[in-house]
Amino acid sequence: MADPARIKPDDSASATTASTSEEAVKKEAAEDAQEGAASATDDAKESSSTSTPPKQENASLATEDEEEGSSAKKLKLEPEKKKEKRHKVDEDEIQKMQVLVSSFSEEQLNRYEMYRRSAFPKAAIKRLIQSITGSSVSQNVVIAMSGISKVFAGEIVEEALDVCEKWGETPPLQPKHMREAVRRLKSREQIPNTKFKNIIFH
Amino acid sequence: MAEVEDEGDYDEDLDDGGGLDASGHGKRKRLFSKELRCMMYGFGDDQNPYTESVDILEDLVIEFVTEMTHKAMSIGRQGRVQVEDIVFLIRKDPRKFARVKDLLTMNEELKRARKAFDEANYGS
Repeated sequence: MADPARIKPDDSASATTASTSEEAVKKEAAEDAQEGAASATDDAKESSSTSTPPKQENASLATEDEEEGSSAKKLKLEPEKKKEKRHKVDEDEIQKMQVLVSSFSEEQLNRYEMYRRSAFPKAAIKRLIQSITGSSVSQNVVIAMSGISKVFAGEIVEEALDVCEKWGETPPLQPKHMREAVRRLKSREQIPNTKFKNIIFH
Repeated sequence: MAEVEDEGDYDEDLDDGGGLDASGHGKRKRLFSKELRCMMYGFGDDQNPYTESVDILEDLVIEFVTEMTHKAMSIGRQGRVQVEDIVFLIRKDPRKFARVKDLLTMNEELKRARKAFDEANYGS
């Protein structure tokens, strides 16, 4: 699934000032990724995708040519069609996101930027995991763990906002909303718990 | 507020600091305060979330990471945490699973792009 692209003044400006070669754009994407935040890689990917939609199509056409030139032509056409379809669906989604984000108000843009850019510091997560395992962990593990922790935090905040609205109160969220959200998620088993086992029959 | 006082009393009781608990790790320093505030705003909360809510969320996230790490250590290769274990543990949750797959594929792409760029630089 490709990342929905986002039109942001500095992102597009920095993307257009980069040279037209694909490598330069990807280098920018790589530099962005080195900031270390998981969502920064989102930004990098989408800045490269916003500035190179025509290049993406060229790349896919180029790979198509390569694949057609290979000997097993008929066998290769099937996955190639699927890749094309997936590309089209991604492009559609990217366009829809662009339209949506371009119609955001100032406050919505701020919130969206925070949503994309916020991330857990990789060093702290790595330290936390290593303090539990006692041995070192690979970088991919840290990336995966930070990513799902952010999704986890998002699930809790969303549930807490539901609770807050249901109780007829307004943000900012209070601890009672958070705790009720946790209670609900626990009953849906979305919060891992290996400490207390269920006693079915007392 | 009653809830704030409850939180305070509970934290003071956990003086050993070694006990893992759902709402209060004793004297542990706050690891993610700044990032969590931005995250909560991004997910829909107010621009200035309450500190107590941020604390609760931090404790929950740390507990989540701890639980996942322990589970990952017990499956696959024992005593080590590997990406495959995390992916296996998260397989039932569609959101998290999709997110992990995306992050890992993107990381691979970026690594490949960086490598290609470095080689191009080296050649010229």
